[in-house]
Amino acid sequence: MIERLIGILERENVEWELYWEKSRNGSFRIENERLERSQRKFQSGIGLRVGYRGKLGFSYITGLNHDKETLEEFAKRTVKLAKVSEVPFRGFPSEKSPAKVKGLYDKRIDDIPFEDAHAIARDFAEKIAELKAGRKKYTLSGSLAFGVNFYGIANSNGIFLEDRSTGMSVSTYAVKKGTKTGSGSYYQSYRSLQPFEELEVAVEKAVEEAHMNYMAEKLPPYKGELLLEPQAFRAIVGIFLENLFGDNVYHGRSRFTKIGEKVSSEELTLIDDATVDGGVGSYPFDGEGNPGKKTVLVERGTLKGFLLDETYARLLGIESTGNAVRDFRTVPHVGTSNVVVEPGEESLDDFEGVVVKKVFGEHTANPISGDFSLTVELGYVVKDGDVRPFKDNMLVGNVFELFNLVVAVGKEFERVGSFYSPRILGIGKIV
Amino acid sequence: MERLVRVAEELARRYRILYYEIRITKVSASHLTMQNGQLEELSVNTEIGIGVRAFNGAWGFSSANDMGRAEKAIETAMKIAKLSRGDSRIYLDDPTNDRAELPMKRSFLDMDIEDKLALVKEVDSLLRGSSISNRSVSYGDGVKEQLYFNSLGSEIETVVPRIRLSFSVTAKGGGDMQIYWKSFGGTAGWELLEGVDLTHWTAFAREKALLLLEAKSPPSGEFDVIMDPELTGVFIHEALGHAAEADSVKTGESILAGKLGERIAVEELTVVDDPTLPGKFGSYIYDDEGIKARRVEIIKDGVLVNYLTDRETAALLNLKPNGHGRAQSYNYQPLVRMGNTYVEPGDWSFEEMLAEVKRGLYVIGDKGGEVDTANGTFTFGAKEGYIIENGEIKEQVKDVALSGKILDVLRSIRAIGKDLTIEFPGYCGKGQWVPVDDGGPHVLTRAVVGGLL
Repeated sequence: MIERLIGILERENVEWELYWEKSRNGSFRIENERLERSQRKFQSGIGLRVGYRGKLGFSYITGLNHDKETLEEFAKRTVKLAKVSEVPFRGFPSEKSPAKVKGLYDKRIDDIPFEDAHAIARDFAEKIAELKAGRKKYTLSGSLAFGVNFYGIANSNGIFLEDRSTGMSVSTYAVKKGTKTGSGSYYQSYRSLQPFEELEVAVEKAVEEAHMNYMAEKLPPYKGELLLEPQAFRAIVGIFLENLFGDNVYHGRSRFTKIGEKVSSEELTLIDDATVDGGVGSYPFDGEGNPGKKTVLVERGTLKGFLLDETYARLLGIESTGNAVRDFRTVPHVGTSNVVVEPGEESLDDFEGVVVKKVFGEHTANPISGDFSLTVELGYVVKDGDVRPFKDNMLVGNVFELFNLVVAVGKEFERVGSFYSPRILGIGKIV
Repeated sequence: MERLVRVAEELARRYRILYYEIRITKVSASHLTMQNGQLEELSVNTEIGIGVRAFNGAWGFSSANDMGRAEKAIETAMKIAKLSRGDSRIYLDDPTNDRAELPMKRSFLDMDIEDKLALVKEVDSLLRGSSISNRSVSYGDGVKEQLYFNSLGSEIETVVPRIRLSFSVTAKGGGDMQIYWKSFGGTAGWELLEGVDLTHWTAFAREKALLLLEAKSPPSGEFDVIMDPELTGVFIHEALGHAAEADSVKTGESILAGKLGERIAVEELTVVDDPTLPGKFGSYIYDDEGIKARRVEIIKDGVLVNYLTDRETAALLNLKPNGHGRAQSYNYQPLVRMGNTYVEPGDWSFEEMLAEVKRGLYVIGDKGGEVDTANGTFTFGAKEGYIIENGEIKEQVKDVALSGKILDVLRSIRAIGKDLTIEFPGYCGKGQWVPVDDGGPHVLTRAVVGGLL
């Protein structure tokens, strides 16, 4: 059917780009230790961009099985939109070889019958019930998902690429209630089918965190050296990254205008890498057919690159970094793949002092001024080997200052979804 | 359609399904975005899809956006429900047959895309000004036509239009950059935007962004704070609304679980969620479980009197569902969600409230928030603020975020204003995004301010 649509488009005197997808996923929700919601979704569709005399038109249709008439109408409608639209058309990428990335597809996930996935979810629920048995004060919940996605991109410059990927994710949530309340959560995603033990670990981690959160008290105001665990640092990096998106740079919504500026302490190196084997943010080619790349954004404190799709790369006069993110319903826009904070040389394992584990509310921060005030979901103070948890404080600061005040970076990194980071020692303020 | 009803009945018999419901949705939407005078998106699309939920003590759900898979989706949902065999209960009501539409005085479906583009261009040019490094304008409209039917014999057809315009400006100067934005929207037609004084509001946003460049960072610590109606809205949505959603009560996670009938706030406080308010962004006629939307008092005179419920949580808590089961689209299962949430007005004037504050902050505008319903902790951002000293408004502050414990803050309310406003359209995320509105009058309470000084 895609070939037929290409045939129709080739008869028109336009430039065109097709993005198609077909996905299937099963997901399961466990509440109060019981499997309560199971679902199976099917989704497919085609997004079409048409360039005509410097203008761009876009529309999409759902489903991949259409008759000739529907396809002709779809092509006609999009061409017409390009004719009346005032969206400037900057051109589509030309043919390039996709990146070689291993481990993005696991046949076992693609082939798993729904009944078997359901049985795993039921076993997961039973495991959760079993773990709950000895812990009266706890309420446990969790979710599990499996998905497979086939997708392709073709354009009038000769690109024709297709690929498939799989995914699996697990999340758990634990609440401990007694004279007070504590909560803990855990999330992880993967490209391949995980052994059952991985699910058990997810429950144990949430339970452990809920207990710590239960014990936590408010910390008196503090200013000075503090250690950010990967999850807390992710929130800070997210605020910083907004300034590296090519569209924000081009449109005056970024703090930065040119490469080469000193933006952080020399301890920090920040990379966007679509080529990590088995990475949940990895891809061989992006939403426009450009190859996935490893892009150094900040190298030992110096700004080295921006995140770009084809449009903003052309506008800024540099090459695309292969960071066009999309689905069939949307036009491509700049996004991240895997974000990696390079490990440093310090062992921060036996750090003593204030540690921030999790924060929330980062979307209330101001990315361009850099100021943030985040609620501390969980932190702890280590003193003489003794661990004293805290919460209900706020971590406040300025992302650019904090980046400049990074004192040390841990040796080993931890992965949460598509974010990889070691522990980071910086200077901050808790109120 | 009749064929699908027959197929569903037959399959339900075959799989011995206790209850099922089917939503077939068609959305026609247009969207335009412009940045610095450059049009970035202009799209007009129509999408149809089916979502099927079947209950057999636990839920099975399946959806498809290729209507050729409609029957398959029905069968899949029922197979899953049969496989699941849970022991939960749901509320089963009498069948409802209705066709209802939220009106548009001037339908945006009848308008040319050129007119919408002209509006976007007008807003963009009104935002122009010196020291403005970025102007962004976003316009969206859509009509959702939904056909709902269930195994109880309900057949409900609804038509809900929604329109939204938002714009932002980024000001640059003195080594700093600041953004200010404004949104308008509702369940209405083009007439909603015709009623907006664009010249006033674009100048307002521009001036605010420029003023914020001069503003200083707020102090940090616990303070008396006066929230403006917009911030009162996000506060009550985040701090109370989410904890009152009965799914978190069901799992025992909410801080409000088991507190029905208890006084949890000051006596002057009444909080309402009302999806039936005419024209508001979070309004709807029936929820996605075929239950008619209705006004719910969550807190009445300081007492927690209701949770927001769906069919499942209502049965569990021995309540009636109050029409708060909402889904992002046919592709999602309904969850308990808010509609338009607000604080009822009290009898304080703003001046009287101000006079109460020796040292504190006047915080204005919503920059989004987040809540931990189990711990009862929330955080939200304000667009701007002012220091209050001895009842007088002093210098402006920027990037203000507030945090607090839900129950402490509700009990710390010292004054509720007379001036009610509910016109702050937005989207609320909870794994799914749904349109909501919120608001209230000015409110004086105490919270932790996360300032840099």
